[in-house]
Amino acid sequence: MTTEQITSVAGRPEALAAREPVRVVNRPRTSMTARRQRAFYMFTAPWIIGFLLLTIAPMAYALWLSFTTFDGLSPHWRYVGLDNYRELFSDPVTWDALGRAGLFAVTSVPLSIIAGLALAVLVNRPLKARGLFRTLLYLPAVVPPVGAGLAFKQLFDQNSGATNGVLNLFGIDALGWLNDPYARYVLLMTVLWTAGNIMIISLAGLQDVPRELHEAARVDGASAWRTFRSITVPLLSPVLLFQTVTGVIASVQTIMPLLLAPDGTTAGVTLVPQSNYLYMMHVFAQYFAIGRYGYASALLWVLFVLILVATGLIFRFTSGVVFYNVDPEAKK
Amino acid sequence: MTATSVSPPSSAASGPVKLRVDRLVLYTVLVVITGLFLGPFGWLVVSGLKTQAELASSPVRWLPETFQWHNFTDAFTQIDFLGYARNSLIIALIYAVLVTLSSAWVGFGFARLDAPGKKTLFGILLGSMMLPQLITLLPTYLIFAKLGMVDTYWPWVLWGLSSAPYLVFLFRQFFAGLPRELEEAAIVDGCGYTRMFWRIFLPQSWPVVSASFVIAFTWTWGDYIAPQLLLSSDRSTLAVAVMSAYNTPAGQPVPELQAAASVMYVVPILLIFLIAQRGFVAGMSTSGLK
Repeated sequence: MTTEQITSVAGRPEALAAREPVRVVNRPRTSMTARRQRAFYMFTAPWIIGFLLLTIAPMAYALWLSFTTFDGLSPHWRYVGLDNYRELFSDPVTWDALGRAGLFAVTSVPLSIIAGLALAVLVNRPLKARGLFRTLLYLPAVVPPVGAGLAFKQLFDQNSGATNGVLNLFGIDALGWLNDPYARYVLLMTVLWTAGNIMIISLAGLQDVPRELHEAARVDGASAWRTFRSITVPLLSPVLLFQTVTGVIASVQTIMPLLLAPDGTTAGVTLVPQSNYLYMMHVFAQYFAIGRYGYASALLWVLFVLILVATGLIFRFTSGVVFYNVDPEAKK
Repeated sequence: MTATSVSPPSSAASGPVKLRVDRLVLYTVLVVITGLFLGPFGWLVVSGLKTQAELASSPVRWLPETFQWHNFTDAFTQIDFLGYARNSLIIALIYAVLVTLSSAWVGFGFARLDAPGKKTLFGILLGSMMLPQLITLLPTYLIFAKLGMVDTYWPWVLWGLSSAPYLVFLFRQFFAGLPRELEEAAIVDGCGYTRMFWRIFLPQSWPVVSASFVIAFTWTWGDYIAPQLLLSSDRSTLAVAVMSAYNTPAGQPVPELQAAASVMYVVPILLIFLIAQRGFVAGMSTSGLK
């Protein structure tokens, strides 16, 4: 964090004054500060207003809706208090969807971080065409979700997919990859496919690891694995923490189950196979297939609170483990 | 990506044979992994070159008998491909231009100015990067529908004007690193903050401007759910059209045209990435290391 490096108001005029031996007037200093303050609000206004109108207001609106039976059509909607919340907590579909989302998060996030880290270590070695490998491995992370979804649908198609073609070579019968119970593995693979993202971010971190540390470890006779575990991972831990948090949030919000389903539109959410029916798909179904905006908003708010709690817990449990390298010399 | 900085070969004490075997294993592993990573997209291209019968045949036909290049031109004519591409382009340009300018503007404020509450606001900004966007989109959609903004491009204008926390952060980091003399000289010249921003700071920040533009453009080009919700079918974007418009009159999907179209939808983004790689990656890694 470089928050301290920002020019502070208090520091500036004094520094100017110190250079001039005689201070003539005091007035410009205060008007200067006032001007800077007004300018600060003028410059940050687009974000402040936008945040209030496009983030806070919709969430507040959803909170209000979650206490009603609003469905967008019937004019006779009414306030029902906590009924929607009571209903969703007593609905086994909610719990199943939540369980699947949780399982998806705790599998996809660690696996993609491990994959990304492994790739980073691999392409951080002196190689010929290192840049080419990095570019090609990163490329899938740039492919838009729709392209990724359609590519995986073709790859795992029961008849014409290459995966079943390969299995067939080994005498294994064609599997219905895009249906239950296999669809979850295809979903997982779409996440692993974009591990290049984590690779690039980890690479930047790896290159910041001071060379002397590795040399010192080698002199001490540490094995490669030991060096990786005791030097690389701790120094990368802020990056890994960031990846964990953003990964969990992304996994909860993924629309990939929809894109892998036979009909990729929001109305076709009912065609998502059971094993990919994550919590967000449940929300989509209530929103767009059924149109129970009130109930769906309650589902949405529960998810929102769960994400905040999960993020808080991740930060909490890692606060002692994550190592922030604050030595300015080590950055060189 | 630093392909040039290959470190010198280490003077191997363990003997050249072992080293060569190590290298061979390393390169084999890398080539196999890279092949697996390119596989899904490669298969999409191959699928786009097959006939419908070949795509339906079981067991799989690995390669088409003859390359059906006409699938790629048919994909243009079966739906108004260029029309959808134009819609995608307009929305992506509107958003990328506006969000880059507004984020630079806000980033300048956070980097160079001060007022009570700044620390709190900056904390909120960083925190809001982690807010689940899809969750806020759903009620936003209901509000936009109420305000009659469905089927217009106004939502993208508003989103663009309100800046993006992640890009604000990139600009803020850049502006905070510029020397203070820039600002002092401008103040001595009687230059206000607005002019200082446009004349001095924004032109200095072109690497961030271009990175921000590319990032925002590819986001919007790739976005599926917002246009799917907010735009009717003929005003919608290529992402939506590729997903759901390639159907026979009876409503059956036409997989070979869909595959060809999705290749043509993805390739521009890959090209932009390959051209603008440096800025893209710089932006990516800064975000991870804040």
